[in-house]
Amino acid sequence: MSRLLSVENLTISFRTDEGTITPVQDVTFAVDKGRTLGLVGESGSGKSVSTKALMRLLPRTASLGADTKMHYTAKDGQVMRIETLSDRSREIRALRGGEMGMIFQEPMASFSPVYTIGNQIIEAIRLHRPMSKREARAFAIDMLDKVGISNAGARIDQYAHELSGGMRQRAMIAVALSAGPALLIADEPTTALDVTIQAQVLDLMRDLQRELGMGMIFITHDLGVIAQVADDVAVMYLGSIVERGPARDVIRAPKHPYTQGLLAALPSLDTLSKRLTPIPGEIPSPNARPSGCPFHTRCAQKIAGLCDRKIPREVVPEPGRAVRCWLYDENGRAVA
Amino acid sequence: MSDDLSASNTLLEVNNLSVHFPVTKRRLFGSDTQMLRAVDDVSFVIHRGETVGLVGESGSGKTTVGRAMLRAIDPTSGEVLFNTAAPDAAQSQVAVHTLSGTALRQFRPRMSLVFQDPYSSLNPRMTVRDIIAEPLVASGLMKDRAQIDARVRDIAARCKLNLEHLRRFPHAFSGGQRQRICIARALVSKPEFVVCDESVSALDVSIQAEIVNLLRDLQDEMGVSFLFIAHDLSVVAQISHRVAVMYVGKFVEYAPTEKLFFSPRHPYTHALLSAIPLADPDANFAPIRLKGEIPNPLTAPSGCRFHTRCPFAKDRCSTDVPEWREVAAEHFTACHFAEEFDFSRPNGNASEIPA
Repeated sequence: MSRLLSVENLTISFRTDEGTITPVQDVTFAVDKGRTLGLVGESGSGKSVSTKALMRLLPRTASLGADTKMHYTAKDGQVMRIETLSDRSREIRALRGGEMGMIFQEPMASFSPVYTIGNQIIEAIRLHRPMSKREARAFAIDMLDKVGISNAGARIDQYAHELSGGMRQRAMIAVALSAGPALLIADEPTTALDVTIQAQVLDLMRDLQRELGMGMIFITHDLGVIAQVADDVAVMYLGSIVERGPARDVIRAPKHPYTQGLLAALPSLDTLSKRLTPIPGEIPSPNARPSGCPFHTRCAQKIAGLCDRKIPREVVPEPGRAVRCWLYDENGRAVA
Repeated sequence: MSDDLSASNTLLEVNNLSVHFPVTKRRLFGSDTQMLRAVDDVSFVIHRGETVGLVGESGSGKTTVGRAMLRAIDPTSGEVLFNTAAPDAAQSQVAVHTLSGTALRQFRPRMSLVFQDPYSSLNPRMTVRDIIAEPLVASGLMKDRAQIDARVRDIAARCKLNLEHLRRFPHAFSGGQRQRICIARALVSKPEFVVCDESVSALDVSIQAEIVNLLRDLQDEMGVSFLFIAHDLSVVAQISHRVAVMYVGKFVEYAPTEKLFFSPRHPYTHALLSAIPLADPDANFAPIRLKGEIPNPLTAPSGCRFHTRCPFAKDRCSTDVPEWREVAAEHFTACHFAEEFDFSRPNGNASEIPA
């Protein structure tokens, strides 16, 4: 298994009228070839901003922290240091789309309404592959076919509004895959879809990943989706990764009180009419980030005088896992 | 949960409710008008103090059913009969579908609605107190300011809102708090029936659980009935006593929650349940692959509307409309072969009982 992307100490700050805010702080994660990293968190946890930083798609008011490292191993084996590239350099433009593809939540907003689906796929293909228009068109039809759009030869000349929601998301996947990326970033790709359509799209993404051996970052707020698609998971809360590890282990035996709370709050289909267990309080606004551990304001197990003062460091409770919580000592053992 | 299913316990009776919208397409010369059957011949009953879940995919007509019952949309045909228990009511059974003018306005406080998006459903220029008081003022139910204030404070406290916050404007609140303001507004007139249209869908999981618990507590205290519309089946499973499943304008199944989730009779319900990803890495996630897309209600398929995607469809399904019938006690479905299907799955509730 080879490392595709490693991100260390990613910190993103924005200059705003009310001063500097830091929606992402000290985030560390890695993606291997052919594996899926699930990035899970509630609104405002910094999931989307983190992945936008990978493509250097942040607005100009944003700046990266001094010790941020984002290393990506390109298809030709070269290691790219994304944090050093300029937003408009030739390297970053080759990286966007060609090395890393991206799928967004709302496909209607990602397609241009004035060009046909085909036009937009062909544009993406010709930017990254040396093909004539005719070859690119044939390739685009192949791609649409591959993502399960029936009658691709006719669909290619339709506009985004003529397709249904599920079909549009498939076309979006076709656009992202047609440039042949080694890493696919999917930002809530199924959130806007109905469950039966969501199941179809998840199935498709799993099959395509197996076939193409891509690495994938799958952003979602739905732990159910994570359990079904992700190999590894990173749980984010207010801009920090509070816990990460193999998806199965994290969901089976969560270590961080936030992950535990999130799983307990989830309504289940197997046991009905049990009272749900919410996490008390509200999610603080990113401009009023609590001191110390960001979760201490809602945590039932907080240690007064410690959790509200000092930011916990990441410790390793088991090989392959990491948790950021004062309930664990340097060796990752639970503090009694 | 009310086990007494006698007629006196019935709050709402919906009989053969249909809502059709004319859709006009302009041509070069003249125009074409087609009928969009958003809701087609739907019948069901809601008991007092009960929550009925209504699930279905987008475009299935869930919202239209809710709005037609509240007379926010006028039904094309069918009846909505409301058995009010209000002491000041002139008669005990009100035919909501026939009300108009003053009679309708005076009846409105008996029923209410909570919307999906707590950001766009609160007027940013009104204080929280005025927002919550508005149903009382608009219907003319109360005129005395002190009386209104007392009622607002009472309901705000029940909805766990800080009374200090009543003077503030909605922009100062988070999503969960805003949704509590919306719930307080819906319940301030002490309605007997409230439609919750995707009321927890926009909230984060940790907040959502709190609102679901709040709705349950308020139901226990006030005896209100809810029609809980949602596309998320797992939330519906937790809050509802009975659940109805809609597909392209029709009810396909209506049963007590346990029966619907653990022994569904309709292939669509079964497919819908199989498509939900569970937060259990060892669960076998094998969604039933439905062919194609949800049909456009403008050109709804003949016969059983699900036959174009149903894995069990036979010739008869494309020609005959299946009858809406009671296949087991309190278990209604519309499928020709419902008696032959057994989609039962293990019930986690049963295994919880200590041996």
